[in-house]
Amino acid sequence: MTTQTPQIEKITEFLYQEADLLDQNDLGSWIDLYTDEGTYWMPVERDQVDPLNHISIFYDDKPMMQIRKHNLIHKRAPSKEIEIRSSHLIGNVKIKSYDEKTGLCTVTSNFQAIVYYGEQTLFAGTYQHDLLIKNGGIQIQQKKVVLINCDASHGTIISYI
Amino acid sequence: MSYSIEHIKNMVHPTKIHRTIYTDPELYQLEMERIFEKTWIYVGHESQVANPGDYLTMNIGRRPAIMVRDSKSNEIHVLHNQCTHRGAKVAGKTCGNARAFRCCYHGWTFKTDGKIIGMPHKTGYDGTDISVDNPDLNLKAIRSENYRGFVFANLCDDGPDLEGFLGDAATSIDNMIDRSPDGELEIAGGVLRYRHKCNWKFFVDNLNDTMHPMVTHQSVDDACQAYMDELPEGVTRSKESEIISPFGSSYKMFDDMGVSVGHNGHAYTGGKTSIHSSYSEIPGYLDAMHANYGVEKTEEILSINRHNTIYYPSLTIKGAIQAIRIVRPIAVDETEIETWTFRLKGAPDKMLQRTMLYSRLINSPSSMVGADDLEAYVRLQEGLSSGGSEWVDMSRFVDREQHKEGNMIRAIGTSDISLRNQYQAWLEYMSASKDEQEVA
Repeated sequence: MTTQTPQIEKITEFLYQEADLLDQNDLGSWIDLYTDEGTYWMPVERDQVDPLNHISIFYDDKPMMQIRKHNLIHKRAPSKEIEIRSSHLIGNVKIKSYDEKTGLCTVTSNFQAIVYYGEQTLFAGTYQHDLLIKNGGIQIQQKKVVLINCDASHGTIISYI
Repeated sequence: MSYSIEHIKNMVHPTKIHRTIYTDPELYQLEMERIFEKTWIYVGHESQVANPGDYLTMNIGRRPAIMVRDSKSNEIHVLHNQCTHRGAKVAGKTCGNARAFRCCYHGWTFKTDGKIIGMPHKTGYDGTDISVDNPDLNLKAIRSENYRGFVFANLCDDGPDLEGFLGDAATSIDNMIDRSPDGELEIAGGVLRYRHKCNWKFFVDNLNDTMHPMVTHQSVDDACQAYMDELPEGVTRSKESEIISPFGSSYKMFDDMGVSVGHNGHAYTGGKTSIHSSYSEIPGYLDAMHANYGVEKTEEILSINRHNTIYYPSLTIKGAIQAIRIVRPIAVDETEIETWTFRLKGAPDKMLQRTMLYSRLINSPSSMVGADDLEAYVRLQEGLSSGGSEWVDMSRFVDREQHKEGNMIRAIGTSDISLRNQYQAWLEYMSASKDEQEVA
């Protein structure tokens, strides 16, 4: 049996689907894309390597994602009373590495996301997806979102980007 | 309009204040002049300028300033960040290391103690008093003092020293330091900056407002509960829920937590219990504390469980979780809140990691808790521009359920006493202007 490097088209399609789930506010299905140990990380510095001993804007494990999911649909969440709308665009998708033994594949891309919640905010930066490719399926081990203005003063970031 | 002292006094009643205190741009400018530029404002922690030449920049009220460790004497100075030539800021970055500050415009250069040491092509000033020997051309120093590592600066040369200003509320800083097995704190792990589109006072008002969590944060508490309800039998709750759930505590818990107010608007909630007092133990921490303090003293230190302490108007600390927030007003309806975290020297890394988790969950722009607070502040800002209701109430438990404790007053935790205390301080600052009194 030969193992092939994952096809860029397949990976890109996966990233599009992931972004679509965010645009549809379907956090349940979005969380299901992650492995049990999966994390969503938005560092506060561009070259930040440590999510634990250094502050981050987000560093969510799956329990935290579940809590956010329940919060999003709660009837009495003051900051989430109106619909959150977003539109993600992804480009420059590149496979940086692939380990066929573990199935771990690191993919980087550029993104722009417009989030509308009372006012419109543009987020931009790079994604790094650490994907686990096994038995034909793809799961997210970690999604790292580096905003170009990660160290700026931000208003509320109401949703996953 | 121009505010007379009489007018300002009429805006603050014992149990209510006038709505325009939050909305009038002219009053905001007066607050900068009479509060932020007249009293002790937190500028930074000494560990942020650990090495000679290390500096931080910030605004004190509206005035750009630099906190710098002298590259020769190792002393910490706070200087006006303003070239004495044409007035440009000499330091442009938020932090860095400098042997000297050289203005980017005409190259006038200053030592880290502010002394002017160079100006290019200076023969053009021959026969004038413009010279590196003229002390009037040094970067002006701002009065500053260091309380156990916490550096404050005061643009006004009169008034109490820093310890006198802090009063008994300084015990919250003491307790945070005591929680380090080595008795020392160190800023660690960067800063979060959270832009609040609202007046600075909403943030400060809210710190010891214990009647809002069960309403404003109900959704987050319920979300935590819903997540826990889904957990299979025998699975332990996540570390996140341990931090979030207490925000949905009962009114009784907040009543019992208590609140203490002191002079100058300072106050703290909590005492022996607070929303931080039921956290699980971090392995190794107690051993380290016992080794340095002994069992009895350790118990005494950890029995103090304060929630928020306000050093009015610029600094708020959470001693039990080692996080601080700095209030930086930008405009009448805009404020930046900086969150910094401390490492307790001698404690296991897991202590810092819990502090980071706490700050992400509660103080980050991504926080569900902070976002709901900010939503309330923004609605206050918008609501108070209406004249439908002129006054803002703060009458809970007025003159009830309170007693003197040292130099502070201790009250039931859901009392509005902290608000009343802050606005008394606000009134004292705002009506103390000599110039204005002469005019009025």
